[in-house]
Amino acid sequence: MSGLASSDSGQIVFVIDDDPAILEALDSLLRSVGLDVSCFGSVAAFLDAPRPDIPSCLVLDVRLPGKSGMDFQKELAGSQAPLPVIIMTGHGDIAMSVQAMKAGAIDFLPKPFREQDLLDAIAAALDKDRSRRAHMAELDALRARLATLSDGERDVVAQVVLGRLNKQIAGDLGVSEITVKVRRARAMRKMQAGSLPELVKMIDRLAAESSARGH
Amino acid sequence: MPRTPFLPHLGARVMPVLLVVLAAVIFVLDTITNFEIAVAVLYVAIVLIAVQHLGRRRVVMVAAGCMALTVLSFALTRTGSVTSGLINCAISLVAIGVTTYLALRAAAAEAAAREAQTQLAHITRVTMLGELMASIAHELNQPLTAIVLNGNATLRWLAARPANPDEAGKAAQRIVRDAERATDLIKRLRGLTRRAANKAIWLDVNQVVADTLTLVQHEAVRNNIALRTELDDDLPLLQADPVQIQQVVLNLALNAFEAVVGGKERDVTLTTGPGKPGEIIVAVSDSGRGLDSVQPDRIFDAFYTTKPEGLGMGLAISRSIVESHGGRIWAEPAMPRGASFFFSLPTGRTKARGSGQ
Repeated sequence: MSGLASSDSGQIVFVIDDDPAILEALDSLLRSVGLDVSCFGSVAAFLDAPRPDIPSCLVLDVRLPGKSGMDFQKELAGSQAPLPVIIMTGHGDIAMSVQAMKAGAIDFLPKPFREQDLLDAIAAALDKDRSRRAHMAELDALRARLATLSDGERDVVAQVVLGRLNKQIAGDLGVSEITVKVRRARAMRKMQAGSLPELVKMIDRLAAESSARGH
Repeated sequence: MPRTPFLPHLGARVMPVLLVVLAAVIFVLDTITNFEIAVAVLYVAIVLIAVQHLGRRRVVMVAAGCMALTVLSFALTRTGSVTSGLINCAISLVAIGVTTYLALRAAAAEAAAREAQTQLAHITRVTMLGELMASIAHELNQPLTAIVLNGNATLRWLAARPANPDEAGKAAQRIVRDAERATDLIKRLRGLTRRAANKAIWLDVNQVVADTLTLVQHEAVRNNIALRTELDDDLPLLQADPVQIQQVVLNLALNAFEAVVGGKERDVTLTTGPGKPGEIIVAVSDSGRGLDSVQPDRIFDAFYTTKPEGLGMGLAISRSIVESHGGRIWAEPAMPRGASFFFSLPTGRTKARGSGQ
């Protein structure tokens, strides 16, 4: 249970099941391995509750009153902050498990399941959410640094990452080569890039992210 | 004790005699009357009767016999115009042939329809059973899942450093509670079956056996099974649910049929008689493959089956019916071969056991 033994409370497991007996049991089991747990009887109750902005995952029963687990899973997968989902079911068939996995479920657990399968799935789900959050945080930081560049610096960076020489850039922008060198050094410092390849990589990541959002 | 005669049984004995007498009368009339009178056409009656009671091959044999008698009469008749006789003989032969053909075809269609109906009934029963099973399985699954999770939680709270007996105790309490929930569900299911046994009336076991046999008579004829009954006329009435007892007899009879089909000797015998004091015993014996390939102590368990498409529910249901009536069900090897299934029902009760709910 590596990765689960943390009791730093920096992560939380959400559970949605309409059977109180299952909720109580899961609550106790997950707390016994040091996880923070928050239980809900329906999707609506889950959506109404405030959610802390920390690594988290959702253990979701398929058969629920109101919105079904499968529908909610699809909805989450298409949202801005996709929460990793583990599906539980009392009457699972192969078709349903394929559907759940295709929609991006971490695991599909037919009741009654082995506790280790659930704990492994939760560990994987929390890891996934943690790395997604780290990735997003990194991008946010890069975007913030990029915002600190002046227009002149940004123009120089845009040319530099295309592999053009200082002299060519100076000619294009109508400034002296010294000015280009100064702006380039200042941009590198602001972006916290140790080398030209590093700066290129940063700009590529930001470009990839914005084009991914564009879709 | 009034008892209706068992008609199919009687019919199987009397029918050939009746047909022979009828054929003889027609033959004599046909022979002594002159050629112009075509008494032989009446042979179609024999064919029509035979179709009702005999298998396909025997009907063809009967028809062939009638045709032979027609020709023989023609040869023996001495009076009248030979030309008329020839024409009448030909008409009779055609009539017998066509009647046989049409009657057999109608019988085949009827058999197919009956089989389709039986299959449909079986499918309906299997589907209903399947749905019932699925919903019971789901209802039991929830508390079982909770029990497993609480059990794991208990172990983990106890193994923690430091151990947390408070949380462990709460989880253990939930195990007890959820197990009781599962038990309640099973109690409710038992209550359902008990209520079903409540429709007990005074009934004659021989009558129930006879009623059941009318249901399976066609199946026996179709599969060339010699179905016999040895019913004791001096049995007392008893209190039971006739539909349920009939279900048991039907299950045992159909099992016996399946056991003998494919074998050379296809004998199935239904017997009723007294058992221990205050007990009536019904037995279904077959000359089939016997009980060698089965586990005798398991055949009445649910889901135990030796048939490729069996559900393993027939004998289990039979057992629960018999036991809910206060009786027993068991199996023994039959002599010289095959298997016998017995069930006993108590007499002299004013109520079947289990009806006191």
